[in-house]
Amino acid sequence: MPADTIVLESMPSMGGAAARSLVPSRDKRARVPSSTFEVRDLVQETARLADYARVCGFTLRDTVPATWLHVLAFPLHIQALGSQDSTIRLMGAVHVANRMTMLRPVSVSERLTIGVRADNVRPHRRGALVDLVADIRSGDETVWDGVSTYLASGMTAPGDAPDGSHEPFEAVTPHARWRVPARTAKDYRRVSGDPNPIHTNRLAAKAFGFPRPIVHGMWTHARALAALEGSLGSSYSVGVDFVKPVLLPGTIGFSSSHEDGVTTADVTTKDGTKPHLRMRVEAVS
Amino acid sequence: MSILEKTFTSAPGRAISRKAGLKDPPRLRRGRTWPSGAIIHGTIGDGSLVADTLHLLGRAVEEPVVDAGTDAPGYGQKIGALVVDATELTSISQLERLRALLRPAVRGIERSGRIIIVAREDHDGWEAAAAARALDGINRTVAKELRGGATSTLVWVAGDTTASDLLTTLGFALQGRSAFVDGQAWKVASTATKIDDLVTAPLAGRTVIVTGAARGIGAQIARVVARDGAEVIAVDIPPAGEQLAAVANEVGGIAIQLDITQADAGAVLAQHVAQRGRGLHGIVHNAGITRDKMLVNTDTARWESVLEVNLAAQMRINEVLLDPDTDGGLDDGGRIVGVASTSGLAGNKGQTNYAASKAGVAGLVIAMSSDLASREITVNAVAPGFIETEMTGKIPFVQREIFRRSNSLDQGGRPVDVAETISYLLDPGSQAVTGQVIRVCGQNLVGA
Amino acid sequence: MSHNAVVIGGNRIPFAKSNGPYADASNHDMLTAALDGLVARYGLSGARMGEVAAGAVLKHPSDFNLTREAVLSSALAANTPACDLQQACGTGLETTVYIANKIALGQIDSGISGGVDSTSDAPITVSDPLRRILLKASAARSAADRMKAFAQVRPRHLAPKAPSVTEPRTGLSMGEHQALTTEAWGITREEQDTIAEASHHKLAQAWEDGFFDDLVTPYLGVARDAILRPDTSVEKLAKLKPVFGGPQGTMTAGNSTALSDGAATVLLASEEWAKEHNQPILARIVDAEVAAVDHPGGADLLLGPVAAAGRMLARQGLTLDDFALVEIHEAFASTVATTLKAWNDEDYCRGLGLDGALGTIDPSILNVTGSSLAAGHPFAATGARIVPTLAKLLQERGPGSRGLISMCAAGGQGVVAILEAV
Repeated sequence: MPADTIVLESMPSMGGAAARSLVPSRDKRARVPSSTFEVRDLVQETARLADYARVCGFTLRDTVPATWLHVLAFPLHIQALGSQDSTIRLMGAVHVANRMTMLRPVSVSERLTIGVRADNVRPHRRGALVDLVADIRSGDETVWDGVSTYLASGMTAPGDAPDGSHEPFEAVTPHARWRVPARTAKDYRRVSGDPNPIHTNRLAAKAFGFPRPIVHGMWTHARALAALEGSLGSSYSVGVDFVKPVLLPGTIGFSSSHEDGVTTADVTTKDGTKPHLRMRVEAVS
Repeated sequence: MSILEKTFTSAPGRAISRKAGLKDPPRLRRGRTWPSGAIIHGTIGDGSLVADTLHLLGRAVEEPVVDAGTDAPGYGQKIGALVVDATELTSISQLERLRALLRPAVRGIERSGRIIIVAREDHDGWEAAAAARALDGINRTVAKELRGGATSTLVWVAGDTTASDLLTTLGFALQGRSAFVDGQAWKVASTATKIDDLVTAPLAGRTVIVTGAARGIGAQIARVVARDGAEVIAVDIPPAGEQLAAVANEVGGIAIQLDITQADAGAVLAQHVAQRGRGLHGIVHNAGITRDKMLVNTDTARWESVLEVNLAAQMRINEVLLDPDTDGGLDDGGRIVGVASTSGLAGNKGQTNYAASKAGVAGLVIAMSSDLASREITVNAVAPGFIETEMTGKIPFVQREIFRRSNSLDQGGRPVDVAETISYLLDPGSQAVTGQVIRVCGQNLVGA
Repeated sequence: MSHNAVVIGGNRIPFAKSNGPYADASNHDMLTAALDGLVARYGLSGARMGEVAAGAVLKHPSDFNLTREAVLSSALAANTPACDLQQACGTGLETTVYIANKIALGQIDSGISGGVDSTSDAPITVSDPLRRILLKASAARSAADRMKAFAQVRPRHLAPKAPSVTEPRTGLSMGEHQALTTEAWGITREEQDTIAEASHHKLAQAWEDGFFDDLVTPYLGVARDAILRPDTSVEKLAKLKPVFGGPQGTMTAGNSTALSDGAATVLLASEEWAKEHNQPILARIVDAEVAAVDHPGGADLLLGPVAAAGRMLARQGLTLDDFALVEIHEAFASTVATTLKAWNDEDYCRGLGLDGALGTIDPSILNVTGSSLAAGHPFAATGARIVPTLAKLLQERGPGSRGLISMCAAGGQGVVAILEAV
């Protein structure tokens, strides 16, 4: 239960909090603010949605994709991690997993109230994990919720880190191959407002150990969800694990299978031997 | 945002509100789920109706723990439900038996558990009538005392009501589908129903019209009746066509853009049904509007538009669909479900017009049900209380928070709760339920 | 022909002015929306249709499989095949003829035709010389060769090329061509403005009557045709300045179609399929024809439909008197006026190789619910707007009622078709 709610007059621009969220913290003990950051009656822009849809491969409809709602909540992630009370920084934090649930279809014409709080700081063998928990309401009805898990390398959190073993991955035969040009990250930065330079700047990428910039994990997520466009119901949960970043430019593979109302999909290297992102979509009744 | 709202959501404000008893509401069990703990079967007298019905439902039952008067014995572990067969109740003194059954059960019931009392409505003698009426008070009070999302329901039966008649009702009341129906009482009559099983797709192969289906509660009704097997004809006004199409495509139904107030609306619907080459099993009159103003500011336009959409339009449509000469009209054995409102039953400031229309729906249901009994068409209504939708967000904060919390479950309901109740009424197995208005309100404090 | 190809119904999104409410929507988005509305109206969610054929006049190169991609984004089964077809402004009718012919031949038993166009999201291409240089550079085997190719780029090559509606062989825009025709046939300003006024008033009335409730599904919050001006009048139209034919011209923005965005679809099937699937039958597709004129040789660009109609009527043994309704696509008000005049011109018709004039029609049977001047004209969509509209009107008039569709198209072409209520 959050201690309090800080209601922002409008969605924060990528200003102070964003800048702060990029500066490494000296305190290595992972700490996050207890507040919920909330923006009310946010108007969605059709033009931006159209741009987002095009960048990620969705069809522009009155009802919006689940990942679009994550994008709307994202400035509040930055606000939460950029707050004075946070020692975890967006820069250097790796988005390792994401879960979101579309509770009912949401129209682009609806005004939305978005709340985000940081929670569940816990140890990981390479640092500390934190969840950014978001919920989106239309009027009083919760229409979407999401949990984004970030790993802050080198940070500490009390307790013992659980054994971090991924489910073993069996090579797949991709049934789609997507070429991802370098400009994808710039396009995605435009539609998402995610300012992290490791996606667009070679030096920044190098500083974090990548030979080249990497595409936003949430772009890969959105692209994979868009590929399932026709089979998504009105209410569904989608979870992804970001296993390995996609270097830009790059070519990636995609495969999916459907069984008992559950769709599993993998974004892999183009030969299908190594996973970049693993996704699971489940209908919600 | 109001100052009050700011205060309420701030840290000290929340601390105060928590002290004031506004805890986080319990999470309700929903869907076609049974209680997880044991189902306890208790009786007052020798009635076997409940036992027979639970047997048809395939539910194993356990013996009740009976309070001897002062020792308050407990169940070892949480129980899922207590179902009391009170059909043989005739005297005041027998009510002590009910107390003795209820006391350990209320104490030991799980979250979202169920207390269900089945009793006779028709009585022989003054004392029997008084004792039966006492059950109503007990049901309402137990519902208010139960915590953790558990609910209480009273089901009236007739002398010759059979287990087949009671099957869908008891199934609904026990399952998560009745999550937001609390402290209510309704009647199961006797019919020639011959079902011996609770099926998961009772509407398979049947066509159901849902008006106002583009969004909110209506869209959820379309989804739930489609889940229960129905072919859905989803209706809404032409400007809502895009959302309507999405709902229709999602549930594999058809979309009709139609203003239900137009003179030929019933004929248009019947023509579509006839075209599809199947009969019409049911219609759910969900479409409705509000034009709220205090009565002193309510003009003719506000008055008439609400009564027209919420009441007059469905009457005209019913008339066409019930005409035996209408090709594509309602089948004998069909279902009509109206959507009333707790505002209609209890009154609500600023809603004279709306309350008039919704109370009218309740009146209509009662009048129609007896007239249509010979054709085995049942007519019922649901009366939603505070249901969380995009519309309720427009209510001012304080009023909204009061509404939302002013019920025994400490929370607003969801559209699916209304939809589940409607689908139960549409069920062909619910033949013995007619002329009833079931409130889906979590036992709202206002109203009867 | 072994099967009757029938029109079950249709669906379109409201049409809107270029750079208006659909400025952010692509052809793909709009065609998908039109398909999804059709699927919902006829309960086809998850159904596999025989084929879907649609097209766009202004198309991005990346949209080479526009229709198939829209099918994949729609609620139709993914194993529904689709193809793109293009016949300029006649596309929506040509795709209907294509699907109807396949149904008639028994190759498919059901199908969807349609068209979409966005002048807001029109493809901008590089100039021809630059395109050639880029091709050469990408084919170069060495860096030096590549540099040599790039060295040829001149600033003037860099200006982007917007698509235009000029006829490649004459260099004249469609409006300029029609201005010549208007003058040659002596069509007055007042005649044209009267046609425009009637189009708006009739379309507005049809909307008021709920006629489009089962023909149109809203998109992106737009619920009615956004170009429509119910309150327009000949007096108001008379105030507009001419845009074609010079200062003395009679063609204005009011009596010419606006650049539009929109999409439309038609559901077609064999009579057997329709009955088996409990679908309504509005009308059958009786016949169709495409004709062309020698416009580089000076013929009137938009009078292609005259020869097409003449030959088709002769083949069917019908005259204009046999039609309960006539739809002439209003590319310009003067297109309608000249088409009617040409149909009744003995010499002109004989000059086309016809046996004589086609005759006249009662003005009250023409475009009875308005046409492109009021609704707008997203090029490829218009034919698929007209077919279901006419089919519904014919059905209201009773079995055997016939309707004629006449559409002019770029390249001096005309597409015509006959529908008959079943």
